[in-house]
Amino acid sequence: MSPHEANERVLRVDRTRKEGTVEVISSNIATIGTEKDMALADAARLAHGDHQPVLAVEGVQHRYGSGARSHLAVEHLDFTINESEFVSVVGPSGAGKSTLLRILSGLLVPSTGRVVFEGKTIHSVPAGLAMVFQDYSRSLLPWLTVQKNIGFSLLNLKLSKAEQAERIRDSLASVGLDGHGDRYPWQLSGGMQQRVAIARALAYRPHILLMDEPFASVDAQTRAELEDLTLRISREYKMTILFVTHDIDESVYVSDRILVLSKAPATLVADIDVPLPRDRDQVGTRELPEFVQLRGRVARLIRDGADLAH
Amino acid sequence: MTDTQTQAIRNAATEAERRALSSRLRGVVIGWGPVIGLILLWQLLAVSAGAVFFPPPFQIAETLVDSLFSGDAGTAFLNMDMLSEVGASLARILLGFALGSIGGCILGVLIGLSRQTGDYVNPIIDFLRSIPSTATIPLFIILLGGSDWMRVAFIAWSCSWFVVINTAAGVRSIEPGMLEMARLFRVPRPRQIVRIVLPAAMPQIFAGLRVALTAAVLFSVVSEFYLAVNGIGFQIVQSQRRFHIEEMWMWMVVLAVVAWGLNAILHEIEGHVLRWHKESKQR
Repeated sequence: MSPHEANERVLRVDRTRKEGTVEVISSNIATIGTEKDMALADAARLAHGDHQPVLAVEGVQHRYGSGARSHLAVEHLDFTINESEFVSVVGPSGAGKSTLLRILSGLLVPSTGRVVFEGKTIHSVPAGLAMVFQDYSRSLLPWLTVQKNIGFSLLNLKLSKAEQAERIRDSLASVGLDGHGDRYPWQLSGGMQQRVAIARALAYRPHILLMDEPFASVDAQTRAELEDLTLRISREYKMTILFVTHDIDESVYVSDRILVLSKAPATLVADIDVPLPRDRDQVGTRELPEFVQLRGRVARLIRDGADLAH
Repeated sequence: MTDTQTQAIRNAATEAERRALSSRLRGVVIGWGPVIGLILLWQLLAVSAGAVFFPPPFQIAETLVDSLFSGDAGTAFLNMDMLSEVGASLARILLGFALGSIGGCILGVLIGLSRQTGDYVNPIIDFLRSIPSTATIPLFIILLGGSDWMRVAFIAWSCSWFVVINTAAGVRSIEPGMLEMARLFRVPRPRQIVRIVLPAAMPQIFAGLRVALTAAVLFSVVSEFYLAVNGIGFQIVQSQRRFHIEEMWMWMVVLAVVAWGLNAILHEIEGHVLRWHKESKQR
């Protein structure tokens, strides 16, 4: 192992220690006890006014089903995401990335542990959180025009008609689709449809944007464009973004930080800061020695991490 | 541009027009040719055989025109009695169809949305819809007498099943990602049903509605065979009993026209509502 590699915050916890952590957490939960106490703890922390991460994942474990046929999807996860941070989650396919996203978004309640969003433990989908799905063709509604699809995210926000129209117009402009509002999603190319999905999330003005392999089903050229679009949005809106991908290059190119997951059941293999300048360029950035080095390191971590955990 | 070029373009244009016209003409011939041919054949056979129960179509048409325009000048010579017979049937068909479709839609959504509800309700539905609708009419007569409500309820009951089954199937096949998306934007459940579940199931709901409308016409006639005082079904039976064979045929033709018109209207509505579905599938 090179000294460089030793330097990074690699969380190669051995099995016994890991089990130890899990035990500590469950006993903590036992002592904290009720949800009310948890809420009090949240309130106390807020009152202290110390710097809160936007999202905190605390001792999350998830098991599907119960008994002999149950399946452990997430073994143990602990991490936080700070404001305006662009964090990627990478891992081998089947690493439980989608389970993790479902837990983070509040669609799924984890078996153990909790997710704290803006200081509050989430029990269902919280306000201020939006998601862009991989499969735009299934998440856009074909019977609505582009602007009505975007307006769909505003249904529960109790905005005036004028505010709705303004948000729709602004977000269409942000993704470079002005003038396409009256078309239907199926009249657009794949890349444009994913732009609509991004615009829909933007119109919602989320505090955190979760992206589930958003560019996995578009061609390379479009993918590069959408990566730059997402980067621009993250800078312009100072948006906190959690970006799940299986593409190592992409994770290095877009993020400020990379979380590397092991093969299922998921654990955190590494939490790496990306030391690249914040202004990214599809050609220039990818040529930097740091980029190449980091890409290799993440690839190795995914390969070795998969072996390590099992 | 030279004159010859202009001329060539003009020729090409008229050529294209001519071709479009001839293809439209061909469409009309293909569409109506067999119908006209069949009517002529029927006319020929009926006249040559002199069959009493199969009057020639031109004679039926004559009867129809004569009865329809036997009114007085105040109503543009239209026979209002005849139109009121048609109106009575039409009202029953539309009301029964509307109630059956709305009820069927609601039940279909409930069954389609929850697997558990479906598991409990499906065996009951399978059993109830296996009872031939016509066999239930005595029950409706016992419950509601010879009133129009009996007929409307019977039509609604009979045609609702087609809507229930199709709606439930449509709702079950909804892309789960769409509902998940709605949950993420915190759209409340009732609005999810109106904004996502119903539109997504609409192609299959319409498939059910088409069958249900045909069924509504069918069962309206059946319902008018019993204890009725008016309606197309009633008139068909009356003419048959009085041995007015031409009138009996005339009412059958009127019924066909009514059914055809209703289907055409539904088709028009479907084309409008499901434009997105048709066009997105063409890609």
